Amino acid sequence: MNFFNRAIKNVTRKWSKSVLLLITFLVIGNFVIVGLGISQAANDAKTITRQKMRAVVTMSIDYDAVNEYVNNLTDQDEIDEFYSHYPNVTVEDVRSILQDSRVKTANATQFQTVYQVPNSTVDFIHLNNSAENNGGGQSCYVDANGQEICTEYQQPVFGIKTNYFPSMIEIEDNEFQIVEGRFYSQEDIDNYNNVVVVSEAFAELNNLSVGDHFEITMYDSASLNNGYLSQYNITEEETRLDLEVIGIYSHNRQITPDSERFDYTFPYENYDNVFLMPMTSLIAYQVPISQKIFDHDAELYPDQEYYQNPNNRPSMDNLSQYGLSEVTLLLNDPLEVDQFIEDYNGNLRQFIKLDANNEEFERLSRPLDTLSLYANFIVWLVVINAIIIITLVTALTLKTREYEIGVLLSVGASKLKIVAQFFVELAIIAIIGFTLSIVTGSMIANQVGQSVLNYQIESSGVNENNGNDIWVDNGMESVWDTDYTTDVTLEDFVAEYNVSISPVIIAEIYVVGLGIVLVSILIPSLMIMRYNPKRILMNQN
Amino acid sequence: MSEILRLENINYSYIDGGYERQILKNLSYTFDSGKFYTILGPSGSDKTTLLSIIAGLDNPKSGELYFEGENIKKIGLHQYRRNKIAIVFQQYNLIGYLTALENVELAMAETDNKLPNDKKAVAYNLLEKFGIVKTKANRLVGQLSGGEQQRVAIARSLASNVNLIFADEPTGNLDTATEKEIIGVFKELAHDFNKTVIVVTHSDAVSQMSDQRLMLQDGVLKNL
Repeated sequence: MNFFNRAIKNVTRKWSKSVLLLITFLVIGNFVIVGLGISQAANDAKTITRQKMRAVVTMSIDYDAVNEYVNNLTDQDEIDEFYSHYPNVTVEDVRSILQDSRVKTANATQFQTVYQVPNSTVDFIHLNNSAENNGGGQSCYVDANGQEICTEYQQPVFGIKTNYFPSMIEIEDNEFQIVEGRFYSQEDIDNYNNVVVVSEAFAELNNLSVGDHFEITMYDSASLNNGYLSQYNITEEETRLDLEVIGIYSHNRQITPDSERFDYTFPYENYDNVFLMPMTSLIAYQVPISQKIFDHDAELYPDQEYYQNPNNRPSMDNLSQYGLSEVTLLLNDPLEVDQFIEDYNGNLRQFIKLDANNEEFERLSRPLDTLSLYANFIVWLVVINAIIIITLVTALTLKTREYEIGVLLSVGASKLKIVAQFFVELAIIAIIGFTLSIVTGSMIANQVGQSVLNYQIESSGVNENNGNDIWVDNGMESVWDTDYTTDVTLEDFVAEYNVSISPVIIAEIYVVGLGIVLVSILIPSLMIMRYNPKRILMNQN
Repeated sequence: MSEILRLENINYSYIDGGYERQILKNLSYTFDSGKFYTILGPSGSDKTTLLSIIAGLDNPKSGELYFEGENIKKIGLHQYRRNKIAIVFQQYNLIGYLTALENVELAMAETDNKLPNDKKAVAYNLLEKFGIVKTKANRLVGQLSGGEQQRVAIARSLASNVNLIFADEPTGNLDTATEKEIIGVFKELAHDFNKTVIVVTHSDAVSQMSDQRLMLQDGVLKNL
């Protein structure tokens, strides 16, 4: 007749007491499950919605901090000095943060329109729309003699999307997929290699494969042939950029006649005509042309202070110095975004900040936060009350068993075994009660949670359309500027709100519940057993 | 006969109404094995207190107790109660939600003493020896008469196979016939099984049946 058997006998033979305790545990369990269930459902809905969003963080200049700093400057020279070295996000800033394993890649992308070279061997993908057919026009300038010279200008048909880093968010997110060859590497970036990744459609149209070369130019023929560039003695040959195809990509941004703004889409806005290449390669291409222009102007205006400073002469270094106004970082896990920002903000260079741009997410998730807050409050209230109720009930029950404790001690039972017996008794009842409450509690939690959430949404007014929640896909898809943040709607949150009692909650119920039972047994048991057996038996008698 | 329990200069007092009341005063006595002792004393002479101290249910203010020559402080009160002694209470002190059999098994489960493997059979035999047949042995103790419960309590005291048995007014609630029967069992335990039985009683009739009558008076034990 060990303590476990005694416990079983007590529970089964004193069944009326056991039933009363069972009801107590059932009621408490229901309250806790309703509270925890609602709270978890709210948090889960937030988490799932967050996970659906892109894990992007922008790194940009903190204009608020800049303005505050400048406003505090009183000396004009200081202000001028500040503006002459206006803060910028640098490639080094981004490279440093890319060391963090949480960061997948960074987009410091720029878009540049480019032209076909004369007698080009490559054609572009034609949309045959209004923008393409009505492209071109006149380009005019006033020459040294004051005479206006106008020439027909050429329409750019290609686009170059550059990045300072050897990947892109679009590649990491499989919006662009390398179907042949490779993306450019850090080595390509460091060596300014004239390498390019072209679209599948472009490669097919021009019968290009990895390893093939083709030429483009950043300058239209009008500006070269007697145009404004001719005054700098820049020849058409010098502006040609020979590119080696190192990869071919497919993309999910097809433009069809059904697309919105189809008629107004220029050829270079069609990703079929967009090349991906390292930013440094594009800068390296521009350096000799820019130097020629600088040298020419320096000769023309030798007195101008700007031209007297050799540091202003275009070079790979100073052209690369141009700051990046905004860099988008892609993290591995959307749930790490807030912590990532918290880790870095305040530790970055002055006037640089990280931002998740998730104000809309925060706004829409407010009813869930409130719901979670109420639910947590209920849980704490119930847990505190449960501790008090269970302790009192147990204390009263044990008080009637003082005599038994005395007897058990007098026959040599250890205090530990006595406590263990009482614990097993209550634990059996508690486990049955909590198990029943999981069934009933989850049904109640679903009903209550949904009702309270609806009420919260109504009363908070977040369901009013503010015009920001119309984009439900992964941002805008412009070649010029891509918004990588994912906008969400209230429906996204509500759709994910679903109360289901997870194994974690069930485990919590059992662990916390049994913990309370143990504490509630320990206190009165130890109170009784602090006396010797004679005193305990005498008290009873 | 060898010594089983020795009391040396036991003192015990408690505060009663603001005054210290000295119960036991330098009490010394040696109990031998295989004897049936009764301790008599007028009402309020704190016989039960003495029993509690020698049974390890309470601590004396000063003095030493030796069980088979070993100080019980060294044995430990818990171990002493668990493996060396058994107590029969006036109020039986059985566990109400257990059957007679289970109450006896309880003592067997708690002791570290060597017991036969088939404890249930031993428990049945013990109960049967004291007139509790199998059908009654399987009843909750609350369904037994006072005399039957006391027999269960005695059976329990023997179940743990100890050599020293204390009994506090074990026949106080019993009729004369049952009283004689129970005392007969105690004598049998002492004489046939070499157990030492120490019974606290106010009954002169009971004490007349013992091997050694003792009187607790003025805080000391005196042979009668």
